[in-house]
Amino acid sequence: MNAYSPTDLKALVEEERIHRKAFVDPDIFRMEMERIFHRTWVYVGHASQVPQPGDFFCTRIGLQPVLMVRHTDNTVRVLYNRCAHRGARVVNEECGNAKRFQCMYHGWIYRTDGTLAGLPMQADESADGFDFSDPDLSMRPVAQVDQIHGFVFANMSPGGAGLLDYIGEARHAIDEFVDAAPDGEVEIAGGCHRYEYKGNWKHQLENLTDTYHVIATHASTVDPDGKQFKRRSGTDGAEARFYDDKKRPVILDIGVSVYPHGHSSTESMFPEAQTGGIWEEYRRILAAKRGPERADELLKQKIHNLTIFPTFDLLVVQNAIRVIYPIAVDRTEVRIYPLRMKGAPEAIFREQVQYVNLTHSASSFVQTDDLEAFDRIQVGLATEAQDWVLATRGKKRERFDNRGIGHGNKTTEIGLRYLHQAWLELMCAE
Amino acid sequence: MSDRETLERIVFLEGELLDEKRFEEWLDLYTEDAIYWVPATPGQKSPENHVSLFYDDKQTMLARVTRLRHPEIHAQLPASRTCRIITNVAVEAAAGSAASLDVTSSHMIVEYRPGWEQRIFAGRCRHTLRHEGGRWRIARKRFDLINCDAAFAALTVPL
Repeated sequence: MNAYSPTDLKALVEEERIHRKAFVDPDIFRMEMERIFHRTWVYVGHASQVPQPGDFFCTRIGLQPVLMVRHTDNTVRVLYNRCAHRGARVVNEECGNAKRFQCMYHGWIYRTDGTLAGLPMQADESADGFDFSDPDLSMRPVAQVDQIHGFVFANMSPGGAGLLDYIGEARHAIDEFVDAAPDGEVEIAGGCHRYEYKGNWKHQLENLTDTYHVIATHASTVDPDGKQFKRRSGTDGAEARFYDDKKRPVILDIGVSVYPHGHSSTESMFPEAQTGGIWEEYRRILAAKRGPERADELLKQKIHNLTIFPTFDLLVVQNAIRVIYPIAVDRTEVRIYPLRMKGAPEAIFREQVQYVNLTHSASSFVQTDDLEAFDRIQVGLATEAQDWVLATRGKKRERFDNRGIGHGNKTTEIGLRYLHQAWLELMCAE
Repeated sequence: MSDRETLERIVFLEGELLDEKRFEEWLDLYTEDAIYWVPATPGQKSPENHVSLFYDDKQTMLARVTRLRHPEIHAQLPASRTCRIITNVAVEAAAGSAASLDVTSSHMIVEYRPGWEQRIFAGRCRHTLRHEGGRWRIARKRFDLINCDAAFAALTVPL
């Protein structure tokens, strides 16, 4: 029995404001796990994390433990990480390689597709008519698994839109990003940053499409000349400016786009292509594969980031992805995985690793400010005298094109408005 | 004072300067080509091809200190208070140079920021000290936290 009927839920999300209960009520969090995380496409991992048969990577979808594994037929499977017998988590390491998975409790053994391969004292069981092909005696597969450029998503429920339909037009930003890899492929490499905060998972999700917070939140990262700390190498195009020469916030010109299903993208604060140093080598390699004009276009990185609702964020400027892992209504973990652009000079990858240390580690110049905001939001939202959080900014100026993609700028909150509409739609489906 | 005591004192002094938020003096302990490194995975082999919690050159350390002095550094309003215990200090000769020595030590740092939960950081440190301009300075610090691969709340002050 759910605490909120569709009518109750609709009362929580208005066009330009969201009720505090969406962020603080444990009943809402439980419903989110069931109706969002168990019913739509959620990012699991990248196929490059499991290059060989038997390679596995353990993670979770919502609060449920799953593992991504490459089976002997070379397909990437996503299985619930739970023994069919007594329920123990079978695979206990985050990643590795195994021919079979064996549960530590009673020793049940599974193949990499989850089917039961054997169990101790098998002869006695077989004599009792034990059926190894019974799906209830397997590590169950998650209902649907699909990939886009190696990014593996899973949906715990059958039916509904396929992954590519779910991502829709937003896929162009992913296509463009991957096309900037000379080999046309990216891979996860260089470990990951992990940070956590005492706040709701949607604070991070909102923040990804929120260009309005930058000036206030990140005030301490900006030098008096209006430039942020130098973020990238090369001789030009490497510095983020917060204010132009006339002291006007540059962020006002940054556009935000929203797509069906709650996805969004923001434009880059680095409008110029980087030049100089190793970037010339990268440009030369890319131009040989894509042609000089296309190479210049790809290296401009017009998009800052692309968010796929509910937990996946492609950090185009950082060459990384960010993944949100809800833990409780007021607790969230986030991971940042660098991506290697295959075929690009190794120095580019090393530079991106250093860059993401500065921008997205738990000690970074930027992320620390955002974490502070997320913690303070959760504390502030305990206030019962005031029900609403506002997402009004730029409502009158937002425009939708004939593909159903919405656009705004001047620090619009359009992204927040539509991610909550997508949230509402999923939450209301009985 | 023996050489060993002199070297130990650099490590203790660094801890003292950090605990007392004397960040400019802390910076001055480091050589101009210094590296301050806190790996993000146990036994991390390289800071180049794997992310780190901190991997700062002197310029980045300076940017960090400048930011710590900024009036709008929200993640330090209010500021962290730290107290650390440094023990099990050992002096090793660094490979290939008489003017350079490694000092290893165990650290336990307790951090409290009003309104947030108290945290403990523990791990083993390796300082590479170099005799330069008539004094010993830190040319490299590597701090391996036992939980370096955990998810952290903000690490706004250097460890």
